[in-house]
Amino acid sequence: MIWHIAKREIYDNLNSLRFALATVLLLGLMLANAVVHLREHPVRMQKYHDAVTESLNRLGSRTNLYDIAQRGPGYLYKKPSSLHFCADGGDPFLSDQVNGGFYAWATDDLRGFWQLHYRPATHNSRNIRPDTIIVDWGFVIGYVLSLIAILFTFDSISGEREHGTLRLMLANSIPRHTVLIGKFLGALVSISVPFTLAVLMNLLVVSTSSDVQLGTEAWSRLGIVFFIALLYMCLFLALGLLVSSRVRRSAASLVILLLTWVTFVAFMPSTLASIASGFSTPMTYDEFHERRQQLNIELRDEYDTRLQEARKHPAKRRALAGEYVTKDATARERLSQKFLDQQHAQIQLGRSVTRISPVAIVQYLLEVFAGTGFERHQQFVENVQRYAREYREFVTDMDKADPESLHIIGVREGMSQKPVNPEAVPKFEDTLSLSRDFNAAAIDLLLLALFFVVLLSGAYMVFVRVEV
Amino acid sequence: MITTLIRRELLDNLMTFRFAAAVFIMLLLVVANSAVLIKDYERRLAAYNTALKTERQQLQERKTYSSGALDVARPPNPLSIFNVGLDKRLGNEIWISYAFVPTLWDARMRGTTNPLLNLFSSIDIVFIFEVVLSLIALIFAYDAIAGERERGTLRLVLTHPVRRGHILLAKYISAMTCLLVPLLMSLLLAAILLTISTAISLSIGDLLRIGGIILSSIVYLSLFYFIGMLISAVTRRTGTALMLAMFVWGFWVLVYPNVILAAIAPPQTSQERMVSTYDEIKQIWDEFDRERKHFLANDAAPGEDPHFGMVGEGPHFGITGGSGFNYAYFYKRPSTLEYFYLAGSNIRKLTEASKPQVPHAQNYYRYLGPKTINTAERAWLVRKQALETIFVQPAIVDRILLRCSPVGMYDAATQAWAGTDLHGLRDFFQAARRYRRTLIDYYYDKNVFASQQWFSADKGAVDWDSLPQFSFHRSDVKINAARALPDLLLLLMMNLFLFIVIFLAFQRSEV
Repeated sequence: MIWHIAKREIYDNLNSLRFALATVLLLGLMLANAVVHLREHPVRMQKYHDAVTESLNRLGSRTNLYDIAQRGPGYLYKKPSSLHFCADGGDPFLSDQVNGGFYAWATDDLRGFWQLHYRPATHNSRNIRPDTIIVDWGFVIGYVLSLIAILFTFDSISGEREHGTLRLMLANSIPRHTVLIGKFLGALVSISVPFTLAVLMNLLVVSTSSDVQLGTEAWSRLGIVFFIALLYMCLFLALGLLVSSRVRRSAASLVILLLTWVTFVAFMPSTLASIASGFSTPMTYDEFHERRQQLNIELRDEYDTRLQEARKHPAKRRALAGEYVTKDATARERLSQKFLDQQHAQIQLGRSVTRISPVAIVQYLLEVFAGTGFERHQQFVENVQRYAREYREFVTDMDKADPESLHIIGVREGMSQKPVNPEAVPKFEDTLSLSRDFNAAAIDLLLLALFFVVLLSGAYMVFVRVEV
Repeated sequence: MITTLIRRELLDNLMTFRFAAAVFIMLLLVVANSAVLIKDYERRLAAYNTALKTERQQLQERKTYSSGALDVARPPNPLSIFNVGLDKRLGNEIWISYAFVPTLWDARMRGTTNPLLNLFSSIDIVFIFEVVLSLIALIFAYDAIAGERERGTLRLVLTHPVRRGHILLAKYISAMTCLLVPLLMSLLLAAILLTISTAISLSIGDLLRIGGIILSSIVYLSLFYFIGMLISAVTRRTGTALMLAMFVWGFWVLVYPNVILAAIAPPQTSQERMVSTYDEIKQIWDEFDRERKHFLANDAAPGEDPHFGMVGEGPHFGITGGSGFNYAYFYKRPSTLEYFYLAGSNIRKLTEASKPQVPHAQNYYRYLGPKTINTAERAWLVRKQALETIFVQPAIVDRILLRCSPVGMYDAATQAWAGTDLHGLRDFFQAARRYRRTLIDYYYDKNVFASQQWFSADKGAVDWDSLPQFSFHRSDVKINAARALPDLLLLLMMNLFLFIVIFLAFQRSEV
């Protein structure tokens, strides 16, 4: 019986104007997305590869252990995701590199050690082109698909009630939940058809290009993204059914739905995020700068005179200098780490509050599975930090392995003088793992499913109690 | 008769649920976002004030003219609360030097808190209007004619001796009156919030600009009402009308502005142009460098070193510390076509050994200063044109494309009123360039280049307070109005056009 009702719904929808419009809209958007991706992705990849090669070449040209230890690994780059078209994730605002380099120092013979500098992305300050939202899958699914879902369901119950056909249908011995489920399935199938078509067209265009290669993992990620999109769409279908069963007139039902949509989808995420992030005050760049100066002065005060006094005793001075240099590098790195952590915490706060809105949840999910956005950025930073540890361990290990070395890391004379094989130096590789992403996304998936269940059962409850 | 019609429509509209919902949503969104926006503005204002203070301090630390690090800061625009435009995005501090002509591409961003906050898109009041007002207008309009036709009341009304045009007019006037309620109420609340904030003081000009923004909003609103009415006039059933209206809305508001810019590829030719212009500018400076070296070689104290081996007294730590520093280098940044030569010294007290070099240095700098300025002007002529074609023109093309949608027109008009559009921002950099000119004139007047204070402070430090001060005032309201006028007129014309079309469609339609 459910299937009968669903079939009737589907036929009704297939002939309607909204079906045609939705198909055109989705196809157009998805094609535009694919074309833009094909144009931009090769450039992005090329840039990344060039930068990495340059960085690795510089690293490979060093054979002296002191140079390796002092200069550091250089720039470390974030690998662009091949699924960038799924979710842009605000990537232009996230830095795609961490600088693991040293900076010039102002003491006569000592040189600063390398540390991680987290530079913010400075993409927009010279861009005078108008601001727009990037049309990725996230936009198509989050905004357009949800709007279409509403436009398909707003009259599914109230419209029938207006025409009197609902009474007719219920006069047969059909349980109400069957009607509801049938309607739900009908709408689901009739939107899934154009959506799937659009997705397939998009993927067809994207995968035909030789520049963009999608591996098996990418395809499984795309599959997950597709199911998330369906789940999200179901959520809005349930919302549509809920309002449609509650409200007498279909026009009123659409008005309510649209205003809900505008509030929750278009405004809620950014407004709430802005309000929430106002409660957290990370240090400003000026403060950070000041504290770094402070640190500099403190350390200099502590060591300057002692170094001067030890001028006559080379061994003592070497030990002191090594201590100074390493202490300086660690303290600075800790400070910039703290700075970054505070900034991340602020964003995290804003993001967790916005989870009230399903569109934010779906954006985050898409970002995670597309390997872009904020979560990915944090993962990149973690990768960099892990690598930094590896690199430092490598230096200490190499130094320890040399019996002639004085084992004073931080000064040239105190370290092993044996040439190092550049091949042996650890190389940075930015990695992504699907299982880790899955864990990160579990909570969001759960929330989305919960939203759906609540709304659908709400629709059921309302529909059962409603007068026809 | 028409008053009766208007009264009927007005009562009809005011009693509806959608009216209440519209008022509620607008108030909620505008108040919540205004609070956020005002807070953000206050923060930026505080950052601006700190910037002014630190700039002064930095300047006072420099003792010679050539080392003066003269920065000027751009104040945040209070009307960015209405339409932020480029106000928050472009750099807000610029370095004024005799050696190069400043542009907006050379500005720095100062006083930003957390750059990652850009991940959350900022919502200004005009954006809320763009999305919600248009939606509400369509919701009010979709059944204006189709609904009456469906219920049969249209036929009833037309049995009376009323003109069809009057019916349309009555519907329009009453619906607009209703729609103005949420618009004006939310603006009123925003205004109250603005006056509560102590940091914001609005001048008469600002109030007029806000008036301009309100006017544009009303015209925008009416345009969407007409679009809805047209749909309503040509469709038989309200359901279809509403559906169509929503798709039209989705297309114009949601899809078109975002897709059009992505779909149209940015011009690729600019890269070659960049390289060739950069080379051209480099050549101008190379020529300058040759002449400079030539001068040094023929000097009474020949040598390559532009500082004539002058050093300050006191201990040295590399380049800082002690009693001074020298520098002479080419500043290069190909991405913004910046290339210039800068030489300076900040020596508090010269060593005895350096004293005999002073006349040579004076002679050299007397030659170098004006020469640098002339070369900078020459390079600027080249750079200006290239920047226009490479950066400004694509941005203008983008804006023209955006104007194909009413949303784009409205956005452009309100930005022009608020002064946060490209023109408004460029006004500031224009002022910075003018300031640089007055500064140079002042230098010439005082014969600064030839003085010893140019490179060393032996004869006393520079009195920075006697320098001409920088001041920037936003453009006059008239200019704002002139900039907003084309878009406003375009919106009005579309209004008129749609009204005529609706009138014709309605005249000919069967009831």
